[in-house]
Amino acid sequence: MIEITLTAWQMLVVKLLIILIIVPVGALVGGYVLHKEMAHMQHRLGPMYAGGWHGWAQTLADGIKFAYKEDIIPASADKRVFSLAPAVIFVPVLLLYLVIPIDRNLIVEDLDVGLFFLLAIGSVGSIGVLMAGWSSANKYALIGALRSAGQLIAYELPIVFSAAAIAMLAGTLSLVGIVEAQDWPFILWPPGLGLALFLLFLVGAMAEMALPPFDMPVAESELITGPFTEYTGMRFIFGFFFAETAHMIAFAAIGTTLFLGGYKPIVPWGPLDVIPGVLWFFVKTSFMVFLLLWIRFSFPRLREDQLQKFAWKVLIPLSLVLILVTGAWVLYGP
Amino acid sequence: MALDIDQRLEKARRPGFGIGLLKGMAVLLKHFVKRNDVIQYPEVKQDLSPRTRGVIALKEENCTVCMLCARECPDWCIYIDSHKETLPAKREGGRPRKRNVLDRFAIDYALCMYCGICVEVCPYDALFWSREFEYAEYDIRQLTHEKEKLSDWMSTVLPPIELEDGADIPGQPTKAVTAESATPSVETTAASPAASAPDTATSPAPETAKPAPGLAEEVKEQQMDSAAKPEAEPEVKRDPEGTVEEGTQAEVEAKTEAETPSTPESTAVTQTPSTPAEPAPAPTRPAPKLEDLEPAEDAYGRVLDEQTKAGSSPQVAEARAKVARVKAERALTQARAAAPTDTAPTPEPSGTPEATEPEQGSVAPPDEGTKGPND
Repeated sequence: MIEITLTAWQMLVVKLLIILIIVPVGALVGGYVLHKEMAHMQHRLGPMYAGGWHGWAQTLADGIKFAYKEDIIPASADKRVFSLAPAVIFVPVLLLYLVIPIDRNLIVEDLDVGLFFLLAIGSVGSIGVLMAGWSSANKYALIGALRSAGQLIAYELPIVFSAAAIAMLAGTLSLVGIVEAQDWPFILWPPGLGLALFLLFLVGAMAEMALPPFDMPVAESELITGPFTEYTGMRFIFGFFFAETAHMIAFAAIGTTLFLGGYKPIVPWGPLDVIPGVLWFFVKTSFMVFLLLWIRFSFPRLREDQLQKFAWKVLIPLSLVLILVTGAWVLYGP
Repeated sequence: MALDIDQRLEKARRPGFGIGLLKGMAVLLKHFVKRNDVIQYPEVKQDLSPRTRGVIALKEENCTVCMLCARECPDWCIYIDSHKETLPAKREGGRPRKRNVLDRFAIDYALCMYCGICVEVCPYDALFWSREFEYAEYDIRQLTHEKEKLSDWMSTVLPPIELEDGADIPGQPTKAVTAESATPSVETTAASPAASAPDTATSPAPETAKPAPGLAEEVKEQQMDSAAKPEAEPEVKRDPEGTVEEGTQAEVEAKTEAETPSTPESTAVTQTPSTPAEPAPAPTRPAPKLEDLEPAEDAYGRVLDEQTKAGSSPQVAEARAKVARVKAERALTQARAAAPTDTAPTPEPSGTPEATEPEQGSVAPPDEGTKGPND
């Protein structure tokens, strides 16, 4: 083995480069998985031609196509804000990957406030959406932006509360600490509570990423692309497509870290320890992605008022109740 | 099945919170894991059935330029030009023959809607369906196929398909015609020696009462005739083109041959006044009597019970019971309308002496009304 000694800063730079490479590649693969899964669930085949074997290069081809599209900024748009909005949406998604542990020792930076960092960074995207919609000088984009902002704010709370409950159960905000505190059976313990928190997180995450059935801001058949209607080419890809897919994978990873046991083996059976944690993490994240997409393809979208009602009248009271229950469990339970 | 039918219907309508969501997800998962049989055209082509309607092909030698196809085409997409030629007489002193010569026969496939009326209506079998559909062009003018191209398409026409059991045999009058020309023909063919013995033994009595089985017997008998002439059938099957009409002609000849031995007998039989041959012309059912009909609600209950016993789902059972109820109601109103002189159904049994006295006419209610309080 070649011994490489790097300073902490150099190590950090290497890790950031890895993230910068892996995340877009992951988004490409995620996009391909999306197309194929949707296709097979609808009893058809999906991309088959791009790249020769079952269309594996489809998203790559799409990305290249978008790269040489004309970059149009509407004449009455606010140029600076318009150009910055996709960055404000995309960069926080990249930052999410900094604190997710792939294995016990494989993490970019194990922050002591890792969970808090995640939730805080995750909220920055809402500003980007508002910027995009407002600066587009397009009524419908603005409507999409306002709906999106309202939705993101409303559904942040279930995510925050379920994550907070997990932090209470684990006793730490560090993500590695949370994974270490979990044991088999992962979401089935505490009985009922774990599952309820998981579902709460799932619903909140779907709404946070504007996935159907919560995709009213995007509402493709009604608002075209909502806040991103005026975006073309690379701005569109980075602000919309990459952000959405990378965000989905990030939330899948966060979900596995918080609820499914991260890099731990599924069953604590001796012989399974040979399999590296990275592989377990990968398997669990893939399952989460599959689950998110599966729900996405199954249901029609909620109307904006139904969406808001569901958040404020159902999910948030429920999450408050669950926080109380979790607190009681931590104090008086085993 | 501990719940009764109403409870089960209610449960089917409201399956409970979230069950519908999970069922939807289950459907998607089922399709996800199921084998996918998408046909990836153009690398893989679908197996088309023999009656697939693709392009229409022309057999020039059969066309007599009768113009029926051009007339009947709803789109007016067939363009025909012709001229008449005079040929010398065949015999000494005969009249010169006139012939139609086809100059131009074109079908404009940009207009054609593939309805098939031209193929159906052509009396000389000059137009045929083919299964070809890959003739898209870059220029719309290339979509008008002329005579030569239409004749080229003939090489893609399939041989005719075998007839199903009970189908009308080409060259023979259709079943509807034979039914109307009633039983004499049925009886003669039944009595003919070509028919097998068991059929004739049972034929006279049931045939008068039920013409339908007699028809089936006749058709079966004709098919046995055609089986008895094996050379007609394979001829039709083996030659792909051109022998369609030859085959039918052969069949017609075969039939007439089979029937000639029976004609002396048929004339003999028809001379006797065929007393059993009173054809029930159209089997009309007598109108059902009012008392025989069941009330609508009973029909509903009965069908519901039958269906649930047979294992239908609650929604299906309910729907069929409703249909039965509507039908029963209709029958009741029909029967009531058909029998206006009947007295209204009595609410009390007619045994009571008080009820019979005022109800001598059809107007019972006013008498009853005046009688009531005084009783």
